[in-house]
Amino acid sequence: MSYAERFQEMEKGFDLVQAMAEADRCLLCHEPPCSKGCPAETDPGTFIRKLHLRNVTGAIRTVKMNNPLGGACGVLCPTPRLCEKQCSATGIDRSVEIGKIQRALIEYSWKTGLPSLERPSQRPEKVAVVGSGPAGLSCAAELARCGISVTVFEEHAEPGGVIRYGVPGYRFDAAFLKHELADIESLGVKFVCGTRIEGARGVETLLSEGYQAVFLAPGLWGAERIPGGENAKGVFTSVDFLAALREGRANELAAQIDGKSVAVIGGGSVAMDCIQCALKLGARDAFLVYRRSFSQMPAEENERVAALLLGAHFMALNQPVKYETDGTGKLTGITLLRTRLGPEDETGRRAPSGIKGSEWVLEADVAIEAIGNRVGSADWSGAVKVDRKRLVLADSKTGKTSAKTIYAGGDIVRGAGLVVEAVQDGKLAARAIREALS
Amino acid sequence: MTTRQKIDLSVRFCGVTFKNPFLLSSSPVSNSAEMVERAFEHGWAGVCYKTLNSDRIPIIHPSPRMAGYNYGEKRLVGLQNVEQISDRPLKDNLADFLYLKKKYPDRPIIASIMGFSNEEWGWLAKAAEDHGADMLELNFSCPHMTVEGSGHKVGQAFHLLEKFTATVKNAVKIPVLAKMTPNITDMTEPAIYAKKGGADGISAVNTFRAISGIGRDDLVPKPNVFGVGAMSGYSGSAIKPIALHFIAEMAQCAELDLPLSAIGGVETWIDALEYLLVGATTIQVTTGIIHYGYRIVEDMIEGITDYMASRGITSMADLIGKSLPHLKSTDHFDLKRQGVAQYDLERCVGCGQCYIVCRDAGGQALEWDAQERRPKLDEDKCLSCMICSFICPVPEMISFKEKPEGWARRQTPVKDEGFLKQVKVAPFHGA
Repeated sequence: MSYAERFQEMEKGFDLVQAMAEADRCLLCHEPPCSKGCPAETDPGTFIRKLHLRNVTGAIRTVKMNNPLGGACGVLCPTPRLCEKQCSATGIDRSVEIGKIQRALIEYSWKTGLPSLERPSQRPEKVAVVGSGPAGLSCAAELARCGISVTVFEEHAEPGGVIRYGVPGYRFDAAFLKHELADIESLGVKFVCGTRIEGARGVETLLSEGYQAVFLAPGLWGAERIPGGENAKGVFTSVDFLAALREGRANELAAQIDGKSVAVIGGGSVAMDCIQCALKLGARDAFLVYRRSFSQMPAEENERVAALLLGAHFMALNQPVKYETDGTGKLTGITLLRTRLGPEDETGRRAPSGIKGSEWVLEADVAIEAIGNRVGSADWSGAVKVDRKRLVLADSKTGKTSAKTIYAGGDIVRGAGLVVEAVQDGKLAARAIREALS
Repeated sequence: MTTRQKIDLSVRFCGVTFKNPFLLSSSPVSNSAEMVERAFEHGWAGVCYKTLNSDRIPIIHPSPRMAGYNYGEKRLVGLQNVEQISDRPLKDNLADFLYLKKKYPDRPIIASIMGFSNEEWGWLAKAAEDHGADMLELNFSCPHMTVEGSGHKVGQAFHLLEKFTATVKNAVKIPVLAKMTPNITDMTEPAIYAKKGGADGISAVNTFRAISGIGRDDLVPKPNVFGVGAMSGYSGSAIKPIALHFIAEMAQCAELDLPLSAIGGVETWIDALEYLLVGATTIQVTTGIIHYGYRIVEDMIEGITDYMASRGITSMADLIGKSLPHLKSTDHFDLKRQGVAQYDLERCVGCGQCYIVCRDAGGQALEWDAQERRPKLDEDKCLSCMICSFICPVPEMISFKEKPEGWARRQTPVKDEGFLKQVKVAPFHGA
């Protein structure tokens, strides 16, 4: 198997028969708690009831109406801590596998060509969406569903944002995304890719071109850095590393990683993606460096376990101090400081503190920093109010910013969040835009 | 593909228009205006209101009054009840009619009535008509009645059925349905008596007399009413295939030729569709609602609308009775055409259930490869009973395929041909 092939396809989901069998386990609750557990109001209580009662097209329609990225959320959502956590069936044995049912319904609609949404009659209004990630796509689909013309501007060569360039293909593959995008395009949404909207100036241009509202959802494409990382050869940011894989540069990365020792710094979902990718690229040893404990990692439990089972070595309670390089500036290792957990901090977690004199060097040929994303180079502050981290200030119920015709949502507002949260941001902003325009 | 907006689910039934074919049947789910109102809000097009009583005989329901029938872990495939007719005063029920007619003028009320005498049938019919009933349903079929001349005892005594129908027809102007008991052999016969009495349509089926279970500790059949069980009405998914045949048989009966309101185990749009295809114009539901609530009508409406859209059908007339031309007696089968089961072994998981059932209940056409854990089919022995496909856990792994003309199935061999010599039977030449 070539390097690239190791990333192309995700695991098969349920087929419709399996999904129905799972839907038969649903208790069909009154006021379904699962539906309250979905940040995007996808309403699993309703679509699972519909499937249970063999109303398959109706079930697909419910998912699609409520969540234009229903397929993606079915794959990527941390369902065990959202809808499935609320499932009443856990009181009997285990939760209904809601995410898998949702994904199966959407895949079934693609397989059979079952139409679930009808294209509305066109209205005269025109809206621009900046960024084609989950928030942008959701906003565009919701606006298009009520007949508003929407154009989505995307800086990258292909649409999808973080679900194309920020997630490895084995977790969310290109073929699946293509279907999801086709459904949104079928509503009449237009995409303009390879076009960067340059901050405040770009937004002004869009408004002057006749767009009556702009939804800002550019995402977070900058990376938090560890000092010294910029200059050492062999140090990547998670943003660059994951994007390179999705851009078809697996062989180029493998040349640096296959047979080598790799250190991934961070304890979140992105860190787990990075370390698994490093192992799939042939890393001899892959170390996960994290200053807190295993149970404090923000990554989902299944992601942590998957990384461990793939062969990752977890180095909890270790804090990076500095990169070690040879004479040519090439990375040779990372100096780590052992930590211990002290009393709880303001977040309720026990805080780590360095153990004096415990420094040691972890030998590594490659390091991948996965310690968080931040706002990229575009500056939106001329157009809308931003906070200290340059995140756009917007109302969480409407996406309204400080500027009348500019709305915003997704990671550029909330910081790194879930796909399903971005979907909701896009949906709510679309409703507010529709209201403002009519 | 037709757009869903163009699809019209409305039906004309005995001269009354319903916005869709789905009605509450006369039962605990249609006991009061409060309940019916909630049902209407979910989308039910009309109601067969719980059977009215003239207050002459006090109605007391046994307690407990129902028992569920499960199949393995699958809950409530069937439901047994010893429920009686309405225990509310007639006045209260009629007041609820007036409320419903005022608030929902477009939702027909079908008043179910049951008299214990000829005079009482006419009196109740008139009372219902005077208080807004759009139609009547004569309950000739409650299986819990022990009084001769009431409930299913009428449904089994055809001359009484005709007489009571005629009495009601003389008393009112609104259309009259006769509700049939399935606790007989041929339903067309009593239905024709109802027609002779003047019935405008037939509702069927009421519940089947049954015993859904017996307590293993107390030996009392269920529901256990303080130490006593009774054969009583059984309903739900479990009886749907049998009820479906009663409707089809009446729809095919040229002499009967009356519109039909189908009742029996409807939970999904697929169940409803099947009743429509064999000739029902309206569909009544109780057990499905007892299982899931009034909300199921939303899925029935959406499901059937999508089905019609996918087939380019816009009106109910293009569905009702459309399977009847394909429904014939068994002597119409073309026995020259034969087929066998075919296996897609690529997908086989190796459970071997097909081998067990073919060996013990089929044609012993499978061999078992113990090493590979796969069945091997000898087509010439396959009976095409298809039981293997019914128990196979892999969907559509086993399918039916026709064999070319001239193919013949191999006879089942005798175990020991030596015994053939001892068989002393001459060919039958009698008439």
